[in-house]
Amino acid sequence: MGTIATLIDLETRMETRKDHFVVVHPLDDVPETKVDTEALGPMPMTRTVRFSLMSLRAYLILMVLLVVYHVVMLAR
Amino acid sequence: MTNKTLIMPAAGVEEELMPVRGRVVKSKWTRDLLTFLMVVGPGLIVMVADNDAGAVSTYSQAGAQYGTHLLWIVLLLLPVCYFIQEMVVRLGIATGKGHAAMIYQRFGKWWGLFSLVDLQLVNFLTLVTEFAAINLALSKMGVDPRYGVPLAAAALILLVLTGSYRRWERIVVFLCLLDFAWFWIAFRLGPPLGQIVKHAVLPSKPAGGITPDLMFLVIAIVGTTIAPWQLFFQQSCIADKRLRFADLKWARLDTFLGACVTVTAAVCMMIAGAASQAHGFRFTDPAQMAADIGTFAGPVMRNLILLLMINAAVLGTTAISLSSAWAYGEVRGWPHSLQLPWREARGFYSLYLICVAAAAGIVLIPRAPLQLIILGVQVLAGVILPSAIIFLQLLLNDKELLGEHANKPWNNWVNWTIIIVLFILSLILAAQVTAPNLFPSAVGGPTT
Repeated sequence: MGTIATLIDLETRMETRKDHFVVVHPLDDVPETKVDTEALGPMPMTRTVRFSLMSLRAYLILMVLLVVYHVVMLAR
Repeated sequence: MTNKTLIMPAAGVEEELMPVRGRVVKSKWTRDLLTFLMVVGPGLIVMVADNDAGAVSTYSQAGAQYGTHLLWIVLLLLPVCYFIQEMVVRLGIATGKGHAAMIYQRFGKWWGLFSLVDLQLVNFLTLVTEFAAINLALSKMGVDPRYGVPLAAAALILLVLTGSYRRWERIVVFLCLLDFAWFWIAFRLGPPLGQIVKHAVLPSKPAGGITPDLMFLVIAIVGTTIAPWQLFFQQSCIADKRLRFADLKWARLDTFLGACVTVTAAVCMMIAGAASQAHGFRFTDPAQMAADIGTFAGPVMRNLILLLMINAAVLGTTAISLSSAWAYGEVRGWPHSLQLPWREARGFYSLYLICVAAAAGIVLIPRAPLQLIILGVQVLAGVILPSAIIFLQLLLNDKELLGEHANKPWNNWVNWTIIIVLFILSLILAAQVTAPNLFPSAVGGPTT
């Protein structure tokens, strides 16, 4: 797959001529190779981080329920 | 400058030729300027769209109630906006994927679903407030909302159906640039420059001291300046535009300039509110404020403010609906790009269409509980924002994912400080709205 490196290479070659530069719109460029996020899988987490996220989950559920209850009460 | 199609070999496939359309320029300065112009968009749009209808309401109310005294808070939020969105820029460029996809892949399906449901709920409620503002502004301009609102919804749907990211971006950037009209409004209505500079730089206590109403407004200003959909929108936008690692510094500049424009426009909205206060008007909503200003500044000024209010709602609607459609498309694995025609991304476009049409429809229902929806948006956005930023912070410390683009220790200090402050503010906001008796003199305040 072609990457921006190819372009830079070309650009560098042109730069050596000192009088031309090439600019390519991201959507016109060859897609760049990115991190393969699917191959990485879930993020490894320490017990503390896992506990913090669980607490956050509980906080969010509680707060959303509280808001929904309050809005329903106001609507009645 | 010349247009030229360059043919270059793809790396690793020597025989294959990959055509790349580029522009040949003769100076480094022109190259940098052109590269910036090609990259600019996601940062500017996310920031200016954040000054949506709710923001116009909040900032002008702040000006109408406290004059220019709260300008310093808005300026203080400039670096906060930038730091948060800059993290999104790095994440988007490094992964080439949206925020919802990242949460799904790195934290698992449960968290992915949870974040998605939260986002869709708050986004939809916010969309209703955008159309409510369009409804209000059209009514004040003498246009029947029964025709105006569906027309606005149809235009918003057509905007994304062109099958070209570039076309959508150019139109939206043009709409963003219309926000500069706020500068003219502030210039025409504004108090002496010395007073503006003084209140922007030196924190000052408004007359009446620190009251629950003031606290509510301060929290609303923070809530309206940083919203959860922004994280999802900008990352998906960067992924859709296929920004490259080499574009990082220009994408950062795009975001910084966007933050400057949005904060300055917010200052101008406050100045407009302060002008109506100076003439003895009491704030009820921004459309009424425009009408009040029209009595002493003329009908042109009145209509300009109303049009800018509609423009703010239109920008907010397209950005928020797209953040919903992108996020859902990423999680479901649907094709989700503005580059695709309707027939190739039906699910993505359908979701956008449903969001816009349903929100517009709700606003047209007689006696719809719009005030309750606005209240719900305020609190839910305030509750969800800090947790959304926590995910962002964890992802930005993921060295497996970001490598050299991961957060540095100073980034983490800044970001955790922001998260803690936002958590405290969100708790106060949630408590103040859900249990107003805790704060005896608090009243229903501005929209987020």
